[in-house]
Order: sequence, then structure tokens, then C-alpha cells
Amino acid sequence: MSNWTPFAIVGVALVGAAIASLIEQIVTERRLAPAALVRSGVETLRHPLSRPDVRDAWLFHLAPFLLVMAAFTAVAFVPWTSGFRGIDLSAGLIGFAAALTYVTPAVFMAGWGSGRAEGVLGGFRWLALMLAYAMPIAMVTTAVAAPAGSLRPSDIVEVQHTVPMALVQPLALGLWLPAVLAVCFLPPFDLPQAEGELNGGAFSEYRGFDAALIAFAQKVLLVAASGMTAAMFFGGWNGPVLPPGLWMALKTAVVAAFLLWVGGRVPRFQTDRVLSIAWKLANPLALLAIVVSGLLTLLFYR
Amino acid sequence: MSELATALVFWPAAILMVVTGLFVFITPSMARAGLLLLASLAFAGLIFLALASEFLGLLMLLMMSGEMVIMVFFMIMFMPDPGGLMGMDMVHEKRRSATVAASIGVALAVVAILTDWPVRLAGTDAPDVRAIGFEVMGRSMVTFLFAAMTILFAMVGGVLLAKYGGRFGLGAPSGEDRGGAG
Repeated sequence: MSNWTPFAIVGVALVGAAIASLIEQIVTERRLAPAALVRSGVETLRHPLSRPDVRDAWLFHLAPFLLVMAAFTAVAFVPWTSGFRGIDLSAGLIGFAAALTYVTPAVFMAGWGSGRAEGVLGGFRWLALMLAYAMPIAMVTTAVAAPAGSLRPSDIVEVQHTVPMALVQPLALGLWLPAVLAVCFLPPFDLPQAEGELNGGAFSEYRGFDAALIAFAQKVLLVAASGMTAAMFFGGWNGPVLPPGLWMALKTAVVAAFLLWVGGRVPRFQTDRVLSIAWKLANPLALLAIVVSGLLTLLFYR
Repeated sequence: MSELATALVFWPAAILMVVTGLFVFITPSMARAGLLLLASLAFAGLIFLALASEFLGLLMLLMMSGEMVIMVFFMIMFMPDPGGLMGMDMVHEKRRSATVAASIGVALAVVAILTDWPVRLAGTDAPDVRAIGFEVMGRSMVTFLFAAMTILFAMVGGVLLAKYGGRFGLGAPSGEDRGGAG
């Protein structure tokens, strides 16, 4: 980690968010219109900041910043290439999960701070959803870390130089993908905002710069989640011929496109349905994934 | 990290930890109290990170976020005035509790200053670090698991008792709205 690492991380987040927005355009609208993207961004920014009659202005205006901070921190823990590994800590995977957990208080603060029925409802839905998916995320990270014998993301990438983890642990991947899609509050897990049902929910009162921050943070979260998925399950920068950085970028883009494509084709989950599935199915399966991972580690990775 | 970087993270985090911790008891809003406690504990996690205790620091940041959010959930659910709109006060017996808190704080500070702390640095493979690891992951594991299950049962029990009809699950009297989405 050098003095330039923070700037590089911000750069990755900015470029990644732009690319993620373009991928979203292609996947959901089937067209590529960067000009329209810039126009809508400028339009959002030109809108004056909302000073609605919020109940708790502190929480309301802090929430977008906390969201952006969590997203940037999550990006910082992703090992992008062998030369640029972000914050390369020995417990980096825990750091990534920790960064993601701060999305929860941020969305709750947004909803509660707005003081509107829809906002508070969106915030509480989000709390319930988060409590349900936090455990699968933690358990899947354990399951992926066990074969590498390390919580350092770059070690996990290196242990996959022959076989990607997705082939070894498909169950863990199957639990991980919906969970990270939920962290990014993208459809079909867009319960806190729920357009057409809660009218924007937790984010209904945001205008101007605040709204732009939230949309930006959501894209950065998607970049971080896709990047970590590529690193944890698809071998990260490992690959033939092409340079490692390009491999990682390609894998990240494919994961992001897949998440957006599948998410856009599934109807929004009802809160009680998704909670029931998460607690009764996903959590026990996540425990099973740990057992499977332990067996695999003992048999093949020692 | 260099000494300067450590100091630059440590002191602001320490001061903010105390300030946010103090405001937990000043604010009348349950949502704010819970989130301020989360902020205070997150700053404690940053202090761990500044002192190069990566695993503990990150684990603290991870666990406290989840736990404090659950606490906010429970506080809003159980308190009669979750938004603090009726000016509820979190502190009772003000003078006596302030005296007790101040004297304990002074006593702890005196102990911390007067103690002859060891200066040696323990590496990751120092014998006592290994011993703690084996103790925590071995013999003491059952104790920890038991404590965790007890807390879980207490939470489930608390919800059941707070439910209308208590632990017997009585239905609401006919014609009365039970609340909820029903």
C-alpha cells in the first residue's frame, strides 16, 4: 500500500460506477446512451437540495455520506490486480463484510430521518432484510476463506489459480449472489425504496446532491460486490493471455451484468416471503456450505 | 503504520468515541441513541485498527454495526417514546449517578497512569498469544457457545413476553385491532 492507494481506489470507484451505469443501460434498456446518462446526472445535481420537513435532519443528511463511505471502503478491500490490491490486510474479507454492514444503518437513517410513513417503513423493511442476509454473507466468506487458509483476499485469489472457487463451492456462490444483490438494494431486493409501492421509500425525500450521492453509492456498491465476487469465486486476476488487470475488470463487468440482468427479470420479493426464505432456507444452507467447505479443505487443500 | 499516522487516527477517534458515547445519554430519541452508540463503538474499532490490531478492529466494526442496528430495532419497538418527541429523559437519579460515574472514571484513570505497564512487544507467535488462542478456541468455547445461546433465548423470550397476550399467545379480544399489517 503506497501513498497513492487512496487516490487509486477513488479512481476505481468513479470509473467503475460509470461503467456500471452503462452496463445497467445495456442490460435493462437494451441501448447504450452515455449522453442520456450524463444528462440525467446533471439534471439530478441541478435540483436544489431538499429541505423537507424532516423529523431528524442530522440522520437524514448524514445518511448519503455514510452510504458513500461504506461503498468506497468496500471497493478498497477488493484485490483488483496482483500489483494493486487495495488495502491488503490479513483480515481483509472481514473488512469487506464490515464495510457492507454500514449500508444498513445508512438506509435506516435515511428512512427514519425523513419522518414519512413510507420512509420509515422502507427503513424498517431494510433492517429486517439486512438481519436476514448478514449471516449468509458472513458464513459464505468463512466458507471461501477456509480453503485458502486465510482471510486475505489476495490469498483467496491465489489459491484459485488452478480451479476457480465457483466450481468447487457452487452452493456458496448461490447463496452469495442474492445476498450481495440485496446489499446493493437492487431489484428484486429493492425493498427500501420500492418504486411504485412505497414511492421511493427510504430515499423518497432526497433531491439534488443527496439523491445523486445515493445513486452513485449504489453503483459503487455494485462495483465492490461484483469485484469481490470475481475475486472470491472466479479466480480474480488469474487468466491466460490477457493482462491480469483486464481479466479482473472483465470478470467484474460480467458479474455486474449478470446481477443486473437476473435482478431485472425477477419480480420484487415480498418482505415476509424473502425473510422466510432467508431464515428457513438460506441460513441453514449457509451452515451446510461451511461444513462442505471444511470437508473440501481437509480433503484437497492441505 | 507510522507513529504519526497512528496518532492521527487514535486521538480524533478516541475523542469522538467519548463524545458520541456521552450524547447517547443526552439525546431523547431512541433511534439517535442507538446510532450514536454504534458510532461510539465504531470509533473504538478504529482505535483498534490504529493500534495495528487489524482482526479485532475489523471484527468490532462488523459485529457492532449489526448488533447496534438490532438494538435500535428493539429500542424503537419497546420504548413508549421512540422518536423522543415527548422529551423523555434517559438519565435518572442524576446527581448520584454523576458522582458514581465521575469517581469511577477518576479511579480508573489513576490506575491507568500509576500502573507500571510492560514495555515489551508481543509477536504473533509469542507463547501467551498462542495460549490465549488455544484457550478461546478450545476449553472456553463451550462457555461462549452457551452464553450466545442464552442471549438468543433471552431475546426470543423478550419478544414473546412483549407480544399481546404474553407467553400464552392469547388472541386479542374480539373487535379490537391487533395492529400490524393484518
